[in-house]
Amino acid sequence: MAPKGSKAPKARPKPPDPPKEYPTIADELLAAYQESRPYQTLAASKGIQNLTANEKACYAHAVFLETGAWRSWPAATQNEFWKTIQSEKIPIPLPKPQDLGRDTRGIEVGKYTPAEFKLYLRREREIEGLLGKTMGYLRAIMAAKEHSPRVLELTEHIISMNAAHYTVWLYRSQTLLALNSSIPAELEWVNNVALDNQKNYQIWHHRQILVEHLVQDVGSDEGKLRELGKSEVAFMKEMFDEDAKNYHVWSYRQWLVRKLDLWQKGEIEDCERLLREDVRNNSAWAHRFFVVFSNPRYCTEGSKATEFDGGIPDEILDREIEFSKAACFEAPQNQSPWNYLRGVLKKGGRKLVSLECFAGEFVKIPEKEGEGEEDVKSSHALDFLADAWAEKGEREKADRALRLLGDKYDRIRKNYWDWRRALLKSDGGGLGGIEGQFVVGAKLFGH
Amino acid sequence: MALVSGPGRAGSSVLPDELQLAIQAHVKYIQSLDTRRDELEYWLTEHLRLNGLYWGLTALHLLNRPSALPRQETIDFVLSCQAENGGFGAAPGHDAHLLSTVSGVQILGMVDGFEELEKRGKVVKVGGGEYRGKEAVGRYLAGLQNRETGTFTGDEWGEEDTRFLYAGLNALSLLGLLELVDVDLAVDYIVSCANFDGGYGVSPGAESHSGQIFACLAALSIAGRIDTVDKDKLGQWLSERQVDAGGLNGRPEKMEDVCYSWWVASSLTMIGRLHWIDGAKLSAFILKCQDPEGGGFADRPGDMVDVFHTCFGIAGLSLLDFEGLEEVDAVYCMPKKVLERILGPRYGEND
Repeated sequence: MAPKGSKAPKARPKPPDPPKEYPTIADELLAAYQESRPYQTLAASKGIQNLTANEKACYAHAVFLETGAWRSWPAATQNEFWKTIQSEKIPIPLPKPQDLGRDTRGIEVGKYTPAEFKLYLRREREIEGLLGKTMGYLRAIMAAKEHSPRVLELTEHIISMNAAHYTVWLYRSQTLLALNSSIPAELEWVNNVALDNQKNYQIWHHRQILVEHLVQDVGSDEGKLRELGKSEVAFMKEMFDEDAKNYHVWSYRQWLVRKLDLWQKGEIEDCERLLREDVRNNSAWAHRFFVVFSNPRYCTEGSKATEFDGGIPDEILDREIEFSKAACFEAPQNQSPWNYLRGVLKKGGRKLVSLECFAGEFVKIPEKEGEGEEDVKSSHALDFLADAWAEKGEREKADRALRLLGDKYDRIRKNYWDWRRALLKSDGGGLGGIEGQFVVGAKLFGH
Repeated sequence: MALVSGPGRAGSSVLPDELQLAIQAHVKYIQSLDTRRDELEYWLTEHLRLNGLYWGLTALHLLNRPSALPRQETIDFVLSCQAENGGFGAAPGHDAHLLSTVSGVQILGMVDGFEELEKRGKVVKVGGGEYRGKEAVGRYLAGLQNRETGTFTGDEWGEEDTRFLYAGLNALSLLGLLELVDVDLAVDYIVSCANFDGGYGVSPGAESHSGQIFACLAALSIAGRIDTVDKDKLGQWLSERQVDAGGLNGRPEKMEDVCYSWWVASSLTMIGRLHWIDGAKLSAFILKCQDPEGGGFADRPGDMVDVFHTCFGIAGLSLLDFEGLEEVDAVYCMPKKVLERILGPRYGEND
């Protein structure tokens, strides 16, 4: 009985010798593609009309194969067709090689050597299969609500392959607590995972759950709580050595300061150390503001970060002002300490004018316009002065500063500076200036 | 939708002087994403699959190609991700999470699929009541609000974040079920996250971050309480995020990144101060981050493209009124047209 024509027989095995070596997998695939369509190549080089009758017939068959046109023919015709293919040994054309894309490191997979490509495929399949299998296994265990030591092993294994799976973390912490496992040992393990997965945030929530339980266990044992605080801070230092602006670590740290009452225990010193390493680390500035202006020892309860707080002692305000001033001198164009300064003044209810001389160190503007060049070392200082002058009612000076910012020192935000100029004209106040706010307030109340 | 990155690289070819948006290439790129199941990264990003579908679909809608993904298959996939408690997991069989639930609701909203949710969604029994369709999803979301602080947790395990609060209000408002939660308390929580520099962080006292600012402003907009914001101070901080190259960063002294084109520009839009940055320079930067041949956007020129940056790059261009794009809504990151259909024709009149 003739073979059923609707199914293509296997491609003729390629002649095994000589085993050609290709520099890249893309070259190898291209060569295999070309070898699989000799008649098309022949027709292209000689021209169809110059082919022999037999070559022409083979060419036609090869084209029917490639286009798949034969699939729509009646069965009898298909049978005839395949008989010829077999007798003439016409190879089955391979599909045109596709772009293989890039690997996770961004390297073009097509540029791999054929041997590397084999390894790459095997590795991809292994990990994919393994991950799929273990996840399936874990889901079965979760469905049965099993909390056993093997859950810890299994989740550790999955996390080592993919730390971003939140379900896995959740089930792991549930199991840890159900088994009453050692939390310090778990923290130790989590440290390494966190160091290897800088951008992962599930780890930090997991850590929070662990520490929360540890604190409950320890109760009121001051010594043990102090030890815990110390070891957590030491670990965060390791994280900051990798990336001192890691947002997850800083959020965790603020939680920890509140939880373990670390307000007066080296937090400010730590911020200072990090700022000595990089004065532009905005995260360290933000943390400093948090520990200085939320400290329950002297801060008014419920006072918001944006509000005046009469509870802050003068010596603390002075210390913070001196600290930021030094940082401005170190890097005048760094916006963090300038923002910080404004924040401190607001908290202390002090006027910007009180720092006019300081800001003036960075800005020299000739008394009258057109009398020589100005010298501006920091656009932030110029901005600060514009507000300080507006506060004093020196509108023209303030306006000139704002114009310089929009036209010369910060042109990308010209619309913003123009708006500030318009604001100056309309109510005489600067942004955030105490006087300006008074005027706005007075307007609101109809005075 | 897969989050597999590449294969293309942004800006790898010489661009013409006048930068063009390679609409066709982007559509093809997004359509091709789900065909890459043979790649390891496809499986490693399974926990983000529903988010990925939302990013891809939003980009297609903004490119004026809403039908480029088959509607029925989209609805079927979303519904297959619904868990027994009414929330949506990232992929079929996954536990429900707030972030995949909001994506599920947004996708159904975009393809006009709420009716199918009513018909085919899970029936959830809680405390003697039986809920189905939208209400089953709404009950799940409402259960995640902390009734003491007003914030939301991401799942039943308690992680809190201002992003979750926004996601909760976003999905509940689309479902028309905001009354299931305490909106005033949520507003109080956001107000307590305001920082000395005008920005907002992940929790009270945490560093200002453009992504968190977007979440806080969008939540306040949904609650109708954008009046609580110091718009001038925040606007100044946000506009300072523009760097000389034209792009925007997320925090001071950090690198610019296409996704911040969205987080920062949408925030400026919500407080009516988008004109404080240089829009032309920003769109030029975004366009340099596209792969004009293979499609897709990367975080920065020369890096690998992915669907996350593709969505927010296109959404950023839409905010800047780039020609040929559908108008995007700054609060929901969805087409305005869709929101008018869901929330009523009067939606957006107070923008």
